[in-house]
Amino acid sequence: MTTDTGRTARDPARRAFLRIAGTAAGTSWLALHFPGLLAVAEAAAAARDAGAAFRHLAPAEAAALEAIAARIIPTDETPGAREAGVIHFIDQALGDFMADAAGELRAGIESVDTLAAESDAGKRFADLGPEGQDAILHAVEETPFFGLMHYLTVAGMFALPSYGGNRDHLGWQLLGFDHRHGWVPPFGHYDAELMGAPALEAGQGEGHEHG
Amino acid sequence: MAEHPRLAQREPVDFVVIGSGSAGGILAKELSVAGFSVVVLEQGRYRRTAEFSHDELAVLFNDEYVGGMRGPDPQTFRSDETEVAAVPDFPAAYYARMVGGSSVHFSANFWRLRPVDFKERSLLGAVGGADLVDWPIDYDELEPWYTKVDWEIGVSGAPGPFDAPRSRPYPLPPLPVKSSGVLLEKGARKLGLHPQVAPVAILSRPFNGRAPCIHCGFCMGFGCETGAKSSTLVTMIPQAEATGRCEIRPQSTVHRLETGADGRVREVLYFDAEGREQAQRVRAVVLAANGAETPRLLLMSASDRHPDGLANGSGYVGRNLMFNGHSGTHAWFEEPLHDYKSVQCSRLVHDFYESDPKRGFYGGGAIDARPFLSASPMLFALTAMPPDVPRWGKSYKQALAHGFTRNMFLAAATTSLPVPSNNITLDPALKDRFGRPALRVTYRDHPDDLAMAGFLQDWAVGIAEAAGATKVWREPVVPSTVGAHLLGTCRMGEDPERSVVDRFHRSHDVPNLFICDGSSMVTSGRGQPTMTIMALAFRAAHHIAGFARRGEI
Repeated sequence: MTTDTGRTARDPARRAFLRIAGTAAGTSWLALHFPGLLAVAEAAAAARDAGAAFRHLAPAEAAALEAIAARIIPTDETPGAREAGVIHFIDQALGDFMADAAGELRAGIESVDTLAAESDAGKRFADLGPEGQDAILHAVEETPFFGLMHYLTVAGMFALPSYGGNRDHLGWQLLGFDHRHGWVPPFGHYDAELMGAPALEAGQGEGHEHG
Repeated sequence: MAEHPRLAQREPVDFVVIGSGSAGGILAKELSVAGFSVVVLEQGRYRRTAEFSHDELAVLFNDEYVGGMRGPDPQTFRSDETEVAAVPDFPAAYYARMVGGSSVHFSANFWRLRPVDFKERSLLGAVGGADLVDWPIDYDELEPWYTKVDWEIGVSGAPGPFDAPRSRPYPLPPLPVKSSGVLLEKGARKLGLHPQVAPVAILSRPFNGRAPCIHCGFCMGFGCETGAKSSTLVTMIPQAEATGRCEIRPQSTVHRLETGADGRVREVLYFDAEGREQAQRVRAVVLAANGAETPRLLLMSASDRHPDGLANGSGYVGRNLMFNGHSGTHAWFEEPLHDYKSVQCSRLVHDFYESDPKRGFYGGGAIDARPFLSASPMLFALTAMPPDVPRWGKSYKQALAHGFTRNMFLAAATTSLPVPSNNITLDPALKDRFGRPALRVTYRDHPDDLAMAGFLQDWAVGIAEAAGATKVWREPVVPSTVGAHLLGTCRMGEDPERSVVDRFHRSHDVPNLFICDGSSMVTSGRGQPTMTIMALAFRAAHHIAGFARRGEI
């Protein structure tokens, strides 16, 4: 299989050109945006330093929601929602664009805690083992509350770290998404193969770090 | 605080252009360069390239660019006129509210129409349930304007085997092929098809002082951080402002075109950023607010002289809304594609462009390879999981880890037939934050459009399998409830009884009102209308400037 682009992409001059074009534009962009990037990074650091000090959730509420998030994207050989700080994303979002959802979350916590108490002698949801938690979540998985928690868990895993979750890019690492400002080809295995270049793994390749 | 208007509001300006998107941005630039005074009224904010980000949550999920359609600016949707329209979860008429309009957030797929698109009624005859007619212009008449678009804004591509004739080559070579493009080529060639380079309005090399694409991958729905996407924000608006004759007034929401006793538009009434009512006197109006907001404004401008809405003597304002049909096929492969990098599409298949009576239904379309729902992390995790993967838990997590880098999407885009009952009207009950009647969308795909989408999906599945996919599944082909292409609602034509504007985009009814945007399109093309909207705008601007110079407005 040969295409026009395949031929030009294998041309060393063309590749060098692409590399220079990408680097030049990327560098000037970084220079232009450095103050903004710094502000984002500082906000993320502040959210992390805040640790378990939640601004919008009571500790028991945070424990319940974190337990649910941790069953949606569990921790196994790799980090899950808990390590990614999804609960800090939720806490931050409740003070901002998810403020309207606070009532639904509190009602949802009450419902899973009630189910937990019925299932195991007055325990709260957060105190149950994984099997007990999963059984309750299966019972509520068609509810709007669970849909909301699914959305918040995904957003807390994969949105920009400045929102308080996705700590150390753990969400992006799970996917193999490498967040850089720019790339140069080859982008993936099959175009690399066509170019005769070594195949790339996630996290390799040329580009620019991007907050 | 809004800036104080620079051009006087009580003195008539030569032109008010309503909307600053694919059409409005071009019209503003061409008319101001030609020497006329122009005020552009744009409802959205004036965002600069430096403001654009990779913030997926804000842009794709919190509607940073598409405005408050789920909040203070609601729309309603219904499938047909027997239903009561309701506010849907997702806006039915999906477009960006900002200077540059949807040309800022679009994926930049950039196809010309072909000769057949302009005369299918003559070639194929009538289609039941549709108001299919020929355009008043043909491909040869529009070709120089397509070429002007190529060279004015910067388009990257290479000729394909079935392309319509072009008078100049592409100004820029194609962007690099992606893994998804390589796989599409492989599968399509095995099936005897003819894959080709996908043309895009994104710079592969520096052009007119703009830097080329650095392949960050945040095209679909995002503003381009380096200005490599050839939006009117970075191509036309700066040239318009540099004339000193064009004033962009962002956050200016027009609610009425006021006509005088002579039947001509005299004033444009709008709300400024603080919600105060303003009026701009005008010699002529160019309405380019998109195929949904343009008819809405005309309907809101009804008066004793124009009881069914301005420029609506034909009853065609808002009628024959076309979205372009779509179908989607997911495929996972053995090795990582990393299709989230670089532009959406690098290759497409145009073998099914022409309608073929042997299929048993009208329609044509294309299949391309793109990440689409796996273009960014949240979108992937929420919308692109295979149907046999649980929604949460360990298996979900495993699928997330495996699928994101290995996913590609085969998108099929098709014709939409002009169906008279598909339309834009004013909602009788719901108001927006300014008290304007909400936009009501009524839409149900013609059965032939769904049949075409399904036909292309069958081919897409075949291509994915021939390319060696390890897992393939289909997005169900269902009637459209959302359109990002808003076409046909003020169609151009020679007959004032069956069209809204003439071949020069002048209203049949109101001599100093011109309408040019997606609403002008008589047929839908095969799925990527932006280039045609831009070509129409350059052509319209040329004729409108001529009328103005000759005192014919």
